[in-house]
Amino acid sequence: MGRILLVGRLAVRDLRRRRTEAALLLLAIMAATTTLTLGLVLRDAAGDPYQSTREATSGPDVVASVGQSSKLSGLEKLAGAPGVIDHSGPYPVVSAKLQASDRTSDVQAVGRDAAPTSVDQPEPTQGGWVGDGGVVVEAAFANALDVRVGDQVTLDGRSFKVVGVAVTAAMPPYPGTSCIVPPGCMSGPVPGDLADAGMPRGLLQNPGLVWLTQADARSLDPDPSYVMNLKLADPNEAQAFADANEGDPSGATPMRSWENILEDATELARDSQILLLIGAWLLGLLAVAGLSVLVGGRIADQTRRVGLLKAVGGTPGLVAAVLLAEYVLVAIVAAAAGLAVGSLTAPLLTESSAGLVGSAGLPSMTMSTVGLVTAVALGVGMVATVVPAVRAARSSTVNALADSPRPPRRIGRLIAISARLPVPLLLALRVAARRPRRVVLSVVSIAITVSGIFVLLVLNAFLSTQPLTGGYGDAQVEVLRRVLLVWTVILLCLAAVNAIAITWATVLDNRHSSALARALGATPRDVSAALAAAQVAPALVGAVLGVFPGGFALYGAINAITGGDGDRATLPSLWQLLALVLATVLVVAALTSVPARLGGRRPVAETL
Amino acid sequence: MSNAAGTSVLRARGVRKEYGKGEGLVRAVDGVDLDVGAGETVAIMGPSGCGKSTLLHMLGGLDRPSGGEVSLNGRRIDDIGEKALARMRRTAVGFVFQSFHLMEELTAVENVELSALLAGRSPRAARRRAEELLEQVGLADRARFLPSALSGGQRQRVAVARALSNEPLVVLADEPTGNLDSAATLDVLQLFETLHESGQTLVIVTHDPRITATTDRVISMRDGAFVDETRLTGGTTGRLGALAGLED
Amino acid sequence: MQQEVLLAMLAKEPSHGYQLRARLRDALGPLGDAMNAGQVYVTLTRLEKAGLLAVEKSADDTDRSDRKVYALTPDGQQRVAEWIAEVSRPRPDLAEFHLKLIAAASAGLADPLTIVDTQRRELLRRLRDAQRAAMAEPDRSNAALLLEGIVLRLQADLRWLEACEKKWTHRRSGS
Repeated sequence: MGRILLVGRLAVRDLRRRRTEAALLLLAIMAATTTLTLGLVLRDAAGDPYQSTREATSGPDVVASVGQSSKLSGLEKLAGAPGVIDHSGPYPVVSAKLQASDRTSDVQAVGRDAAPTSVDQPEPTQGGWVGDGGVVVEAAFANALDVRVGDQVTLDGRSFKVVGVAVTAAMPPYPGTSCIVPPGCMSGPVPGDLADAGMPRGLLQNPGLVWLTQADARSLDPDPSYVMNLKLADPNEAQAFADANEGDPSGATPMRSWENILEDATELARDSQILLLIGAWLLGLLAVAGLSVLVGGRIADQTRRVGLLKAVGGTPGLVAAVLLAEYVLVAIVAAAAGLAVGSLTAPLLTESSAGLVGSAGLPSMTMSTVGLVTAVALGVGMVATVVPAVRAARSSTVNALADSPRPPRRIGRLIAISARLPVPLLLALRVAARRPRRVVLSVVSIAITVSGIFVLLVLNAFLSTQPLTGGYGDAQVEVLRRVLLVWTVILLCLAAVNAIAITWATVLDNRHSSALARALGATPRDVSAALAAAQVAPALVGAVLGVFPGGFALYGAINAITGGDGDRATLPSLWQLLALVLATVLVVAALTSVPARLGGRRPVAETL
Repeated sequence: MSNAAGTSVLRARGVRKEYGKGEGLVRAVDGVDLDVGAGETVAIMGPSGCGKSTLLHMLGGLDRPSGGEVSLNGRRIDDIGEKALARMRRTAVGFVFQSFHLMEELTAVENVELSALLAGRSPRAARRRAEELLEQVGLADRARFLPSALSGGQRQRVAVARALSNEPLVVLADEPTGNLDSAATLDVLQLFETLHESGQTLVIVTHDPRITATTDRVISMRDGAFVDETRLTGGTTGRLGALAGLED
Repeated sequence: MQQEVLLAMLAKEPSHGYQLRARLRDALGPLGDAMNAGQVYVTLTRLEKAGLLAVEKSADDTDRSDRKVYALTPDGQQRVAEWIAEVSRPRPDLAEFHLKLIAAASAGLADPLTIVDTQRRELLRRLRDAQRAAMAEPDRSNAALLLEGIVLRLQADLRWLEACEKKWTHRRSGS
């Protein structure tokens, strides 16, 4: 017990002694945990609103539909099929053109009774339920069209008053709406050849969903399609029921199980979640890279402390424990902060499911999310700490007490080459050659960042040039953009923190040799330029590697995971990639110039 | 010093260095006048903390005085920019430090050529000069060794060779024998003596009195000021026998 | 014990014999205990005969040596001044140099730091001679070893001078 207390106390003291570094560490881990939390929370968020909507609206287990009244008998037979305990409908469904102020959209209008039913009774979120001359608009569709209760709309030229906005579990929210009317529906923009040849008559484009009274619906089209909602004894059998009855010889009766609807309803959240999880991975890697440098630099600074601990009888185990304890503390705080920030910002990314009940609330935080995020934070902390901690614990006590820093590496060939270069580059190459591991880390860090940005460029181009592709509506594109924005901001922040941390570690590490170079006649500008160049050169390599193969590989991975269709995406153009590499180098140069300048101007006499 | 101001290589007038302010004001160097003639070797001695290292840093342009003037070869260096100062250090001054300050990852010859490279010489010329100098300090056979493989005395000789690399007007040495044992000290003293004989101007700050063996003048420093000066030119007149117990 | 030391101790003011001995004990500490009281009076008598100091009878008229009051004659004062200015060659007798600094300071005869500086100059010259001789010797000769011994002793003396310097600098600035 006493030992644990001692370890804890030593760790806390040391963290307090160096607040800036502790804060940087915290930020780095927090960026990863926040993103991970967002990803995990969204996973849960996707399922929950649908479930609550299903409960609130007595959602059906299976939705069956037929295209003509002649096949109505098939539906009636289904109502009596074994396993069905309740049903509503069949209700007429007609296709129509809806005009709301300045916007027009295809809709499927379902004719309903004014009286409530026991299966699929859409739940108004505003206003009330259908009546003659009154139309109720599906919530996500209303949102997209910017239609409110009391507005006047026309359906195929006939005027209706919006009396309600409601949600249902019988259909995925707009624009994922399932297609019931016979000519079929299409989502996305009109392909070029079809636009030229003229659209097939009656084909609906991204139809929304509205409810009318049965009479109003029939008045729009005397020969409607029909839809029926079924409740089964065992909801888990829904898909099996659909499979078993769909192929009924009495005529094809398309059926959708509630699981199937759920999948469509949550598609968007799933895509966001995949993006966020990949982002979390990238950020995790970036955090490890940044942390390794920070921790390595810190521990190199702590050699004397380590020596003292060992001289007074600390075992290597104790020393490693003290060093690890510091980072475990930081990791735990970062995990807590990441969970808090992640769950608070998650609602910003889940608004999309306006078509469902309960989605506006705070997504719930499950134990598994908390556990996973904490584990990842600890993992990141450990991975970054273990090597330097073990190295410090094993180092010779005498050397540690003498405070001899880790001896620099010698790469003879680089030193010989550098002799031929101008002074700043000569010094820069030698600065880099002294610590090859750090150079690798900074290359990796930049490469990860640039691959992330590469993917962002691809996705952004995809979203802006092909609206409504893959069933994404404006609102969804907006959400995905927001997800990408979150990514970008966190990624760039972390990359900046890394760049500064690495430069600072380099500056500290080269304090002595910089001072010496100046005593031997190098100007402060030479030294600053060298320190900055030692960062910028790896940044250039990292940026190039980040574009190829990094970016291509990452994009491929995302496509493979989401099952997306890579052919439809436009890869960034050559000049965009060049600009990306150039911008990376410039930003790194700008970020590193301040610490490098400070490092180059440090008074020589004081350091030597 | 009898040298007229015109012939002195290094000249300081009323040089002061202060740290802190108010109650905590410390005068590390408090009004020092100094003239070092060409080819002269001067030792500045005093207990640790007397301000002698600070003075040396100001003489070599590593540090700026709080007041007073420092001129090198007739040119003021206390009021010029950092860049000009760096250029001056590159060409006119060679430093030798107590803890050698060699770059650990560079071999002896690479360390020596570094200052020539910084001064913009061609790699080939720099290397040739470095090899000559190592020969001169008796380390031609150690040119490819890393500092960690050299003894203290050898490391300091490498540092002296480096200081000479750009043929400086004056070599400034800060406790050059402070980290050395008796035998290594003798080596370095002999090296200084050779430099002295070849006409190199040298200012050595030390509290090791053995340095007097190679100097023309010893200046004693106390509390940031010069308190005494001894000229040591002239032959051996002392009766060493008495010191060894051979005479009364 | 050198005669000049006793003379210098009287330079500040005429003193009783016991006062003189107390002053010596104070300056020399445990080393002063080893001093034979009789020897001090023998030396005093000899100095009196040489005309360097005069004895004033004490009030109670006894003939006891420690009851007499000793005072410097002009000749005595001259002798002390010469001694203070003298540089110990080849190296200082520690106790003598130490007492010289004390006497010079207490009687205000000279600045102890000046005495230290003068002495250092002399030691530096000697050290230089010895070191140059050592440098002229071929490597590892037997004579080099002896010369190193001389150098090391001189270094020790110089280091002690440094300590004296520090002490008297401190006293001066402290007062």
